[in-house]
Amino acid sequence: MNKNFLSVMFQRLPVETYVVTFTVILWIVLSIMAPNFMTEGNVSNMMRQVSISAIIAIGVLCTIIIAGIDLSVGSVAAFCGVLVAQLLSHGYGIPMSVGLALIAGVLIGSLNAVAVGVLGIPAFIVTLAGLQVYRGLALLISGGMTVGGLPPNIKDFARGTLLGIPNLFITMLMAAIVVHYLLSYTRTGRYLYALGSNSEAARRQGIPVFRMTMVAYVLSSGLTALASILLVSRLSVASPSMANAYELQAIAAAVVGGASLFGGRGTVLGAIAGAILFTTMSNGAVLLNIDPFWEMVLEGLLIALVVYLDNLQKKRLSGL
Amino acid sequence: MFRKLTLAASVASMALISAPIARAQDTVAVIVKATTSEYWQWVFKGAEQAGKELGVKVDELGSPKDDAAAQISILESAAGSKPSAIVIAPTIFEALGDPIAAVTDSGIPVIVIDSGAKTDKFASFLTTNNEAGGKAAANAMAQCIKERTGKIAGKVAFITAMAGHESLDSRDKGFKDGIAAYPDLKIVGNRVANNEEAEGMSLTADMLTKDSDLAGVFADNAQMGTGAGTAISEQKLGDKFCLVAFDADAGEVEHLKDGSIYALIIQDPYMMGYAGVWYGYAAAHGARLPKNVDTGVGAVTKANMNDPAFAGLLDVTKRKLSSFVGN
Repeated sequence: MNKNFLSVMFQRLPVETYVVTFTVILWIVLSIMAPNFMTEGNVSNMMRQVSISAIIAIGVLCTIIIAGIDLSVGSVAAFCGVLVAQLLSHGYGIPMSVGLALIAGVLIGSLNAVAVGVLGIPAFIVTLAGLQVYRGLALLISGGMTVGGLPPNIKDFARGTLLGIPNLFITMLMAAIVVHYLLSYTRTGRYLYALGSNSEAARRQGIPVFRMTMVAYVLSSGLTALASILLVSRLSVASPSMANAYELQAIAAAVVGGASLFGGRGTVLGAIAGAILFTTMSNGAVLLNIDPFWEMVLEGLLIALVVYLDNLQKKRLSGL
Repeated sequence: MFRKLTLAASVASMALISAPIARAQDTVAVIVKATTSEYWQWVFKGAEQAGKELGVKVDELGSPKDDAAAQISILESAAGSKPSAIVIAPTIFEALGDPIAAVTDSGIPVIVIDSGAKTDKFASFLTTNNEAGGKAAANAMAQCIKERTGKIAGKVAFITAMAGHESLDSRDKGFKDGIAAYPDLKIVGNRVANNEEAEGMSLTADMLTKDSDLAGVFADNAQMGTGAGTAISEQKLGDKFCLVAFDADAGEVEHLKDGSIYALIIQDPYMMGYAGVWYGYAAAHGARLPKNVDTGVGAVTKANMNDPAFAGLLDVTKRKLSSFVGN
């Protein structure tokens, strides 16, 4: 009876349980082993570090939920980042430059959605092409050079805090709350999960498949554009080589946070926890002076372990 | 400081012997490590200039990211189109050795620039002495620490942009050897990044968390320099901390101006491209070339950055070679 109760409880654990548990354990271990870990400076530093990758992870999560994928986000971040920097350095104001970069992000997302939803090209191929195209465009509009000479106040946002919390982190929280609300409390959200679980069933039930595809890809590229603006604000320059391989980090954060690459499963909280776990690992590796090559090995193994445990739970859910 | 006079003189003398016999169909292929980096764009700019002066067609080639396998196939297809000469910056020392030897054997002269390859079958090797550059970084750091604290003592660290690259490894080795000459400077950390600015920034911030008394960091390329400079400027440590970085892209120069970077160790990529094409052209027409040429390395600080000698090295648009070759 008692055992049965426990196993039922276990089955009902939310998808992000493993990643949150891991992160908390890692925090406890690090605060014991590295005296500087739980200092105000380091915590605020980690909040800044995690924000940009978490925003991109939330966007990519939306495409993963509908059983799609977005491999173009790293290149889109470089393109939108270089775009906003070029506009700023040519004297367009901050609202104009930021606005145009966000519009560019939304347009890229719409293009992806049309290619996937109307032309029927697999998302993997569409966004793999995008990975090349937007990196190429970033190089073209920057001439292959780092874009500098931005107005000095562009740094202010990334360096500022509100009530002691970095602006970057607050921006990430706001994006997270909006997407979480959309996914968990609206019809659109339920449609997105339904589409990812079984696209044929979703179609037969009259779910507007193309409109949902549009929502997912526009969120992915749009949030990436937002993240790229924050990245430029942090670096106060933009280089066409920046945001390299961010798509892999974002996908890993979403998957470690409980999302399934087969669609229909994943949460905003999980993706953020995944991003926090990676940031914690790289921060901890420096604080403990772990050999950088071992750090890569350990990070890879940890990803495999978390996803394995998560899969065990999924099997129990469906098997018992 | 810049030992380029000999190089300039040899380029100039070749100008005399070979310019009159330029043929329209001459092509020199220039293959860089990664087209996405500003440094390699400067190489292309120099190559274009030489191409213009010689009336030679310059093919600008390279993969977007450092990738040895991609570079080998680019080299092979470039050689297939039978150019007069090939100028190449090998990504990985071991991997590019045999392919370069094969091209040389097929009768196309190869000029190696920037980084070495495991072969001696090439016409000439134009490079920065990266190890000397690393030593210059160590000396600049010692000078900075002395300026800031009055004595040369403390903890320092370095950031490697990517693992397993000959030129970066040489810089790091030069830096370590250079620091070893100062008994009270101690290297307490080394991190390896993914050649990405944001990562260089995070690593610098994290190293400062680990050792709050860290006196200096050496960043071994432009991406790491920009990232580390941002971390220092974010924490407003410019006047206390000693950051020394390799190269001079727009981000690094901004940090040099705002004081977050103490010194930039600059090379001369423009000259590598420029002299590379000249040398390639000369080799194709039977000129004998020096096997090894040092294109020079120097340290720029905020104090001397407005020196006219550095202007063209910090900003490629201000580069004027005509007067230089005339020396």
